[in-house]
Amino acid sequence: MRVVLRLLAPLLGLALAAAGLLLAIEVVAAWVRPDGGGGLLVPWPWWRATLQDLTWSDQPIPAIAIGVAVVGLLLLLLGLFARRADIALRAPTPEMSVTTSPRVLARLVGRRVRGADDVASAAVTASRRRIRVTAQGWSDPDPQLRPMIESRVFELLDELPLQHRPRVTVHVPVRREER
Amino acid sequence: MTSAQPVPGPEPIVGPSRPAPPPTTLRRRARSAIARSAAADRWLAVLVGLLLLVGGVLVALLSFRVFGAARAGRPLLDPMIVDAVRAAPLVSRWVAVGAGLLLVLFGLTWAARSVRPEPRPDVVVDGGRPETTIVVSAHAAADAVAAQAGALPGVSRARARLVGSRSAPALRLTLWLTEDADIGSLLDRIDDTVLACARQSMELPALPVAVRLELDAPATPPRVA
Repeated sequence: MRVVLRLLAPLLGLALAAAGLLLAIEVVAAWVRPDGGGGLLVPWPWWRATLQDLTWSDQPIPAIAIGVAVVGLLLLLLGLFARRADIALRAPTPEMSVTTSPRVLARLVGRRVRGADDVASAAVTASRRRIRVTAQGWSDPDPQLRPMIESRVFELLDELPLQHRPRVTVHVPVRREER
Repeated sequence: MTSAQPVPGPEPIVGPSRPAPPPTTLRRRARSAIARSAAADRWLAVLVGLLLLVGGVLVALLSFRVFGAARAGRPLLDPMIVDAVRAAPLVSRWVAVGAGLLLVLFGLTWAARSVRPEPRPDVVVDGGRPETTIVVSAHAAADAVAAQAGALPGVSRARARLVGSRSAPALRLTLWLTEDADIGSLLDRIDDTVLACARQSMELPALPVAVRLELDAPATPPRVA
């Protein structure tokens, strides 16, 4: 999201500047030479004639309006959701702020979970609010696997100075029988 | 690392005699040093998006005769507006030219602000004599901090960068941790040794720092079942 915003912001700025430049040039050109005929850079007399002939209910207008609204909605969502997904940690002093990424937290959790002998494989996703672990043991069914993984994750979260402790969900799918 | 040179004109010299800012200011500066702010771009995107959304929805409703068939049947370039423009041509022209120039100014400012590289402030240190001022370059200061932080136990490599303004510099420190790193004690050591040394050598009463923690690449591939 932030990359798109970084790319889009200068383009939007340049588009606005170009539109403003065209407006100023065309108005001044029409002012200094009233009998100039067509526009200097854009055919605005033809645009004016078209706009005078079209009514609000004519066919291309609703489609264009809906398209503009959709573009506006996308821009709005882009601006609202282009936030950093950082995970904040407690810092020892006020002049220090400590952050890490959800990917790093997921790797830490994954490493801790896979370090257990009973875990055959584990996949972890993490965010500021939630950690989700999907793990499989060597033998099925293992009723102790889930609480053991939870305790390992809680142990790790106790060690990490996280500002907000995320909720932990452990999912142990039933392994398919091999034929 | 440092260079002694005469600095012409009044420079914002940051010295140890200057009192440290209050903790809330330091906390704010440390937080804003985490990354280059995209707040202005985000708010402008929200504003432009909101204008397009509201305009598009209103025009669509007008087209679908929600505001009445008579309004929907009027031309896009309404004769009422054309008459008003023709009644005051000079004012209309000036307004149009002014709006165009404002759009040019706003658009160029926005574009320039978006593509401008993030400033790296050099730190000015009191040279001890009135005619001498020592300028510590941002690169040199950052490299020294990164080297010191990279030597701490639990850190495999470190990258530092001075950000902010010359009168209010801050440090962005990215640490790649090893598997056995104890994050709590590492942060304490960063504050006690690395930052204390940086503050002292740059003669800063306070140096807000944003620490970014990353994990070093695993030495062995992860187990796969």
